[in-house]
Amino acid sequence: MFTLLFIMMLIAATVAWFVIQRLQDKPWLVQGVIASNHDRGGIFFSAPNVGLWSFLAVVASIFGVFTGAYYMRMDSSHGGVAMGVMEAWIPVGEPLLLWLNTAVLIVTSLCLEGARRAVTHEAIGKVRSALIAACVLTLVFVAGQVYAWQLVSPEVMTRSNAAYTFFVLLTAVHGLHLIGGLFVLTRAAARVSRDFDVDSKPAMAAIGQTVGLCATYWHFLLLVWAGIFALLLTS
Amino acid sequence: MAYVAIADRDHEQDHHDPDTFLTKYVWSQDHKVIGIQYGSLAIFTGVVALILSLMFRTQIGFPGALEAVTPYTYYQFVTMHGMIMVVYMLTALFLGGFGNFLVPLMCGSRDMVFPFLNMLSVWVFLLSVIILMASFFVPGGPTGAGWTLYPPQAIAEGTPGVDGGIVLMLLSLAVFIVAFTMGGLNYITTILQARCRGMTLMRMPLSIWGIFVATILGLLAFPALLVAAIMMLLDRLIGTSFFMPALLTLGEATDTRGGSPILFQHLFWFFGHPEVYIVALPAFGIVSDLLSVHARKNIFGYRLMVWAIVAIGALSFVVWAHHMYVSGMNPYFGFFFATTTLIIAVPTAIKVYNWTCTLWRGDIHFSLPMLWAIGFIFTFIHGGLTGLFLGNVTVDLPLSDTYFVIGHFHMVMGLSPFMVVFGGIYHWFPKMSGKMLNDTLGKMHFWLTFLGGYCVFLPMHYLGLLGMPRRYFFYGETQFIPDSATSVNEAITVAAFVVSAAQLIFFINLFWSLRYGKKADSNPWRATSLEWQTPDTPAKHGNWGHHLPVVHRWAYDYSVPGAKEDFIPQNVPKSDENPGSVH
Repeated sequence: MFTLLFIMMLIAATVAWFVIQRLQDKPWLVQGVIASNHDRGGIFFSAPNVGLWSFLAVVASIFGVFTGAYYMRMDSSHGGVAMGVMEAWIPVGEPLLLWLNTAVLIVTSLCLEGARRAVTHEAIGKVRSALIAACVLTLVFVAGQVYAWQLVSPEVMTRSNAAYTFFVLLTAVHGLHLIGGLFVLTRAAARVSRDFDVDSKPAMAAIGQTVGLCATYWHFLLLVWAGIFALLLTS
Repeated sequence: MAYVAIADRDHEQDHHDPDTFLTKYVWSQDHKVIGIQYGSLAIFTGVVALILSLMFRTQIGFPGALEAVTPYTYYQFVTMHGMIMVVYMLTALFLGGFGNFLVPLMCGSRDMVFPFLNMLSVWVFLLSVIILMASFFVPGGPTGAGWTLYPPQAIAEGTPGVDGGIVLMLLSLAVFIVAFTMGGLNYITTILQARCRGMTLMRMPLSIWGIFVATILGLLAFPALLVAAIMMLLDRLIGTSFFMPALLTLGEATDTRGGSPILFQHLFWFFGHPEVYIVALPAFGIVSDLLSVHARKNIFGYRLMVWAIVAIGALSFVVWAHHMYVSGMNPYFGFFFATTTLIIAVPTAIKVYNWTCTLWRGDIHFSLPMLWAIGFIFTFIHGGLTGLFLGNVTVDLPLSDTYFVIGHFHMVMGLSPFMVVFGGIYHWFPKMSGKMLNDTLGKMHFWLTFLGGYCVFLPMHYLGLLGMPRRYFFYGETQFIPDSATSVNEAITVAAFVVSAAQLIFFINLFWSLRYGKKADSNPWRATSLEWQTPDTPAKHGNWGHHLPVVHRWAYDYSVPGAKEDFIPQNVPKSDENPGSVH
C-alpha cells in the first residue's frame, strides 16, 4: 500500500506539472510562436538537473518497491507463525553503529552543501577540501554499514531470516548507489585539485554544476537512508 | 548557469560530425543511428523468438513431429519466446527504436540531450541480449519456468534451466533495466528540455506523447522487476528465503523458511501490467499519427487523446492483481482490481472512437502504413473486448490458464503492436533510408500477416472456451477436448508457418528497397510533423542544418479550408501557409 501511495503521489505531481505546462490549450486554435523555454530568459531547469531528478524518481521507485516487499514478507512470516508452520521473523536489533553511520552521512551531506555554497563564492580551496572530505566520509559510511552486518546476534544471522537478509540487502543497495555517485564526486574532486583555473568562467560553471548535482544526489540518498533506518527500527 | 546541450544549439555547428566508419555506424552518438541499432537488435531477437514459437507450435499441432522438442525443451522455448517478445523485442523496439529515432526529430532537436548515455544504452542492451542468448549454450539450457518466472518452481530442482538458465535470465533482465533507464532518462529530458521554439507540449505529435508517458511508466515500473530479480537471484545463489517457503524437494527439506511466492507475483505484475502499456502507449501514439496523415485529416479530439494516454498510464499502476485472481487473494481485492481494470476501458474506448472518427469522412489513402493502422484498430478492438471478459473475476476463474488467455494477449499484445511496428516502419523507412519500400511486396506482407494472424489467434479463443489448458506439452486422450480441437490446433500451426514465412517478404522488401527502391523525396507522405521537414533525407547528424526549426502550429493541420495544399507543416508561419518552403 505504501508503494501504491508513493506511486500515486508521483503521478499526481506529474499531472500537476502538466497542468502548469498549458495543457488546457486548444492547439488547433492557437497559431504562431508560443513563448517556450527558450524565451523565458534561459532554461528554468538545466537538462542535467531534469535528468538527475528523473533518475532520483527511479531510485525512489526502487526503494519504494523494496519497502512494500519488506512489509509483505514480514506479514507472510507472521501469518506462518500464527499457523505454527514457519520460523518467526527474527528482528535484527539494529546495532548502535548505525546511529554513528547516520551521523557520518549527515556530515557528508553538509560538506557537499558547503561545497555548493563555496562554488558560488568562487572559494576553490574550500570546494576542494569539502569535496575530499565528502569522498572520505562516504567511504567511511559504506565501510561502517558493511561492518554493521557483523554486529548482530548469531541467531539473527541466518540466511532464512528475511529480517536479516533484508537488512543486508537494503543497506547494500543503498551503499551501491553512493559508490556509483562517488565516481562522479571523485572526478570532480580530482578536477579541482589539479591546476584549476579559477578565472575561467566555463570551468567554474562546469564544476558548479557537478557539485550541485552531487549535493542533490547525496541529500536524496540521506533521505532514503533515513527512510530505510526508520523502517528497520519500527519493525 | 545555463546549460546548453547539443540538442539546444542553434547557430554554431561546433559539435563534431562523425567522420570514420566506427564513429558513424558503430560507436555512434547520433540518435538516428542508435534508433536503427536498437530496432535491428530488437528485430533480431524477435526473429529468434518467432522461430522458437514455430518449434513449440509444431509440437502442439503435430505432436512428436520434431525430435528437438521434448517436454524439457518445450518449456524452455515457451519461456524464452514470451520473455523475448515482451521485453527484448517490443519494449526495445518501441522505446529504443522508434523512441530514439523520432523524439529529437519530432521535437525539433539536434539530438538527445545526453548522446553519450544514449550510446551506452544501446551497448548495454546488446550486453543483456548476449547474456540472454548465452543461456541457450550453458549446461541445462535456458530457463523453462514460464515467462512469469514464478517461484518456487522457477528456482526449484527439476525445472528446466535451473542451473544456469534462470541465473542468466535474471541477470540479463537486470542489465536490460539498466540499459532502459539510461535510454529512458534521455527521452524524458529531451522531450522536456530540448523542444524547439514554439513546440509546446500540446503541439507535440501523439507519437511523442505515447513515447513520453510510456517512458515514465517504464522508469517507475521496471524497478519492481529489478527488485524481484535481485531477490530471486539471492534466493537461487545463496539460499535466502525472500520468495522460497519451507519445501520438500526430492524427499528432503530445504533450508528455506517463510518466503512468500505471492510476493513475487505482486512484484512481477506491478511491473508486468504497466509493461503492457509501455508497449501499447507508443503504439497508440504512432497509430494516431499514421491515421491522421493517411486520412488527410486532423486527429479527432487531440486533447482527449493526450489525456487518455496520461489516464491510461496512471491507471495501469493500479490494476496489476487482475493477473492474480486465481492466486488466492482476499475477494475484496478481486473486486477492487476488477473495477480499476474495467475503468481503463473508458480512456481506451475514447481512443478507439477517436481513431474511428478521424477516419470518418477523411480522404483515406490505402497506403501501406494506413493498411497496418486500420489492421491495428481491428486487432486491438478484438483483444480489448476479450480483455473485458478476463477482467471480471467470475469469468476469469474458469478461463484462467486456458487458450482463451493466450488468444486474448496475443491479439492485444502480439498482433496489435506488430501492426503498428510494421505501419511505423513502412511510414518512416523513407526518412531513415531515403528510399521507398516496394508497394506490392508490402501489400502481400500485410494481407498475409493480418489474415494469417487472425487464423492463428482467433481459434484459440474457442479452444479456451472448450477448456483447453495452456502450457501442456501433450494433450493425449481427454474427455473434454474433442477431435475437432486437434484439427483446429493443426490448422493454427499451419497458419503460424504461413505468417512466419510472410515475414520473409518483409525482409526481402527491406533489403531490395534499400538498394533498388524508388528514391524518396523529403516528405513523401505530405505530412506536417517536423521529422519530414529536415533539409536532408535521410537527415544528417544534427538534423536541421544551420538553423533549428521554429514551430507555429500543431501537428495536424490537414485539409485546412482555404489553404493551398491539404497540409501545412508545423514550421510554416501563419502569414505563409504555403508548404513549399522549409526554412
